[in-house]
Amino acid sequence: MPDQESIVTLDPRDESDPGQAVVATRPATLNGKIIGLFSNNKPHSEILLRMIADVIKERYDISGVVEHNKGGHQWPAQPSDLTALAQQCDVAIHATAE
Amino acid sequence: MNVNDIIASHHQFANWDEAQEYYLDQGLTDGLPIVLPTPRKVQAMLDHMGLAPDAIIGTETIRRKSFTAEKLAINAVMAGCKPEYFPAVVTAIAAACERPFNFHASSTSTNGITLMVMVSGPYAQEIGMNAGVELMGNGTRANATIGRAVNLVKTNFYGSVAQEMDNSTFGHAGKFSFCFAENLEVSPWPSLASAKGFGDGASTVTAFAANAPLQVSIYGDQEPETFLTQTAHAMLALGPSVSEAMVVISPEIMAYVGESGWSRQQIQEFLYEKTRRPLQEWLDWKRLDHPAKGTDPQEPRSCFADPGRITVVPGGGMAGAFIDIITSWGSSRSVTREIQTRF
Repeated sequence: MPDQESIVTLDPRDESDPGQAVVATRPATLNGKIIGLFSNNKPHSEILLRMIADVIKERYDISGVVEHNKGGHQWPAQPSDLTALAQQCDVAIHATAE
Repeated sequence: MNVNDIIASHHQFANWDEAQEYYLDQGLTDGLPIVLPTPRKVQAMLDHMGLAPDAIIGTETIRRKSFTAEKLAINAVMAGCKPEYFPAVVTAIAAACERPFNFHASSTSTNGITLMVMVSGPYAQEIGMNAGVELMGNGTRANATIGRAVNLVKTNFYGSVAQEMDNSTFGHAGKFSFCFAENLEVSPWPSLASAKGFGDGASTVTAFAANAPLQVSIYGDQEPETFLTQTAHAMLALGPSVSEAMVVISPEIMAYVGESGWSRQQIQEFLYEKTRRPLQEWLDWKRLDHPAKGTDPQEPRSCFADPGRITVVPGGGMAGAFIDIITSWGSSRSVTREIQTRF
């Protein structure tokens, strides 16, 4: 029979402190910047990223675009990919599109 | 160790009904009522294995979640596990935390997979697991609650909550629980644990990112080529990039396997070869978008990268000529670990 007395139970969730995520500093303008497009290899992600780059080009006088593909959507980006991207561009956009 | 060492938050309720409603309302169950995780029950789970509450069982590196023994024990109690089932739960989570399993992506994909647990070796029989009639279905506490426990850990602790982080298009019933044991009584082979190099008498858990099973009815003569050809034909529907498959063969068919003298490896190789089709055929069926540059359209490609991607397991009830195919998700690889009952 269920206990009708006061009952104490435990919490099944993760209660650890996840820490603070740090957002990268944003530039004041995209004028003169190199834009990185970082695809996750989904079928239309590169198409979407290029469309976004075209919109940015209309609004800002950017100095270039570089493209990277992380080679598969099911795994996180390799640190070497991120390092290469950071060396080649000022800002990066990541996108997925089926 | 005693209940005072437990770190998790405590909740107090006026009665059983109020507590049960809290867990249901907070989305801390799979939609079904739970066994209330009291400190005494959770402590019994930890004591069975000699685990400290804060012992780290495994760490998932993408969300940086470290699974503690205490939290696993809480979810195992909620699932209805007996303490003697806890080693299977602990081993399954530790296995799923290994990188090849790809815990994070497999817990979030629209594909809707479950964390399936397959136990091989004497431990399964010791705790009363079912490897026979209805082994993947309902009716056996050990199977039902171990499978339920690991999926409660996935939702409650990891955060892979349905309709939130988990956006499975369909999902499947195995997301409540999917756990069974290898049927060694009908097998002519050493256990899977032994075949994987864990030694005689070892027991293992294989963590497998599982789609819903596909059951193949077997007709015709008793030659392995006949029933494995039927199985291979069903596999073709899965396409040319299946990460892994667990093929569960019923005892009636296993008797024919035994008479033929076929090994596990022969079955793996036969299925691999029989599912090879010219690249052009996969393209014609739109199972591939485009061939890699420079590839010959007549070059054969199997459903699997190599025969080792197929795991063959005897299991099920004595009556019925069936073979079950359970495929794994995307890039996930199954991980097998030896069960440690005491720390």
